[in-house]
Amino acid sequence: MTRLIIAVAGFALLAAAQLLGENPGYQQDPNWRAPSEAAARPNPLASKPQAAAGGRKLFIRNCVECHGSDGAGIEEKHAADLQLPMVQSQSDGTFFWKITNGNSRRGMPSFSKLPELQRWQIVLYIRTLIHNPETK
Amino acid sequence: MQLSCKYVARALWSSVFAISAVSASFAQESPFFVTYTHHMEEPGNLDVEISSTSGVPRSGQKSYFAPYLELEYGATAQWTTELYLEGQSTWADSTVFTGWRWENRYKVLRREHWINPVLYLEYEQLNEASRIQKEIEGEGPDVSSPNALLTPLHAHELEAKLILSSDYHDWNISENFIATKNFSESEGVEFGYAIGVSRPLATLASGENCRFCRENFIVGAELYGGLGSTLGFGSHDAAQYFAPVLSWSASDNGTLRFSPGFALNKQDSPVLIRFGYTYEIQNFGSNLSKLFRKKP
Repeated sequence: MTRLIIAVAGFALLAAAQLLGENPGYQQDPNWRAPSEAAARPNPLASKPQAAAGGRKLFIRNCVECHGSDGAGIEEKHAADLQLPMVQSQSDGTFFWKITNGNSRRGMPSFSKLPELQRWQIVLYIRTLIHNPETK
Repeated sequence: MQLSCKYVARALWSSVFAISAVSASFAQESPFFVTYTHHMEEPGNLDVEISSTSGVPRSGQKSYFAPYLELEYGATAQWTTELYLEGQSTWADSTVFTGWRWENRYKVLRREHWINPVLYLEYEQLNEASRIQKEIEGEGPDVSSPNALLTPLHAHELEAKLILSSDYHDWNISENFIATKNFSESEGVEFGYAIGVSRPLATLASGENCRFCRENFIVGAELYGGLGSTLGFGSHDAAQYFAPVLSWSASDNGTLRFSPGFALNKQDSPVLIRFGYTYEIQNFGSNLSKLFRKKP
């Protein structure tokens, strides 16, 4: 009986936590802005485009879950379309800051657990995502 | 409550297989067994973890094996919740279920800072035979008495931690301060600590899908122990350990961890051997909620 109560309590806990974890409809968060100093940081791997291959691997492992394999964003997840010009026009430093800090209000986790260079590799790969209207 | 080894093992594996029917993602877990960092579980993801703590005995003690199942769920980007089920098997004694824990961590600050505080609150319904030693508070566990004497002694505990964690040039440095109140006995408030430092072996990812690349390994060390209680504060009568740690992202969804802990005094087992395997399930929350949606 005790085991049954524990199982039911655990299940109810996970279900309740999921409801609280729901992400509202995606829209640009006007308050999610990198400080000017962070936005101005250059990508230390900019002269090493070959590092984008590692960035692709990291993107698949960490970002595809919400942004999709082409970066167009999964609607159900309300995730940003990384191909959009309004997104691509942001600086490398801004991408790095956003990957590092996340945005808890929109369900974007912080990826500060990844080493700095790996976060810059992801930025490098995001730059290769090109908008293709035929695939949309 | 005495259970056979076979029953415990069957229950643990059934849970893992039932849940792992969902898709999985890459896992890059902290290598620590005791110290917590400020890195939270990603929202909607579930980590299923099977770990164990084994104690090498001193003379007069018996060796033991204490496995535990941990379900860690990212409720939001700032809140992670976990459920533990734990047991213990002592050589030439018995195998017993030692209780459960429900733990919650809340990351206080939304952005990354030099020091990132996390508040931790856990309810534990255990018995005194518990030996997983996820933390050491007070003077540490009783590893000398037989299970028959320890299992009837129940402990309803509330445990709080202040977790301070920093990432500096790919190093993670974390400090945990622990306070535990056992409502079943009048032993005051017990204290403990854990300090951990870790770093990946490589900071640049290769373009290949390799298993033994240096980037898949994280190394570090932990220092943890008890600090007595409000009835007698101090570390001299409490177990203290120094433990190197190693984690290996063995697959896209699994991480193996290993840590030998060496006692710095004679209060507990001279060596603790810890193993852990974590399996990360992506989108567990949304897949679970789909089960309860209306049929079209």
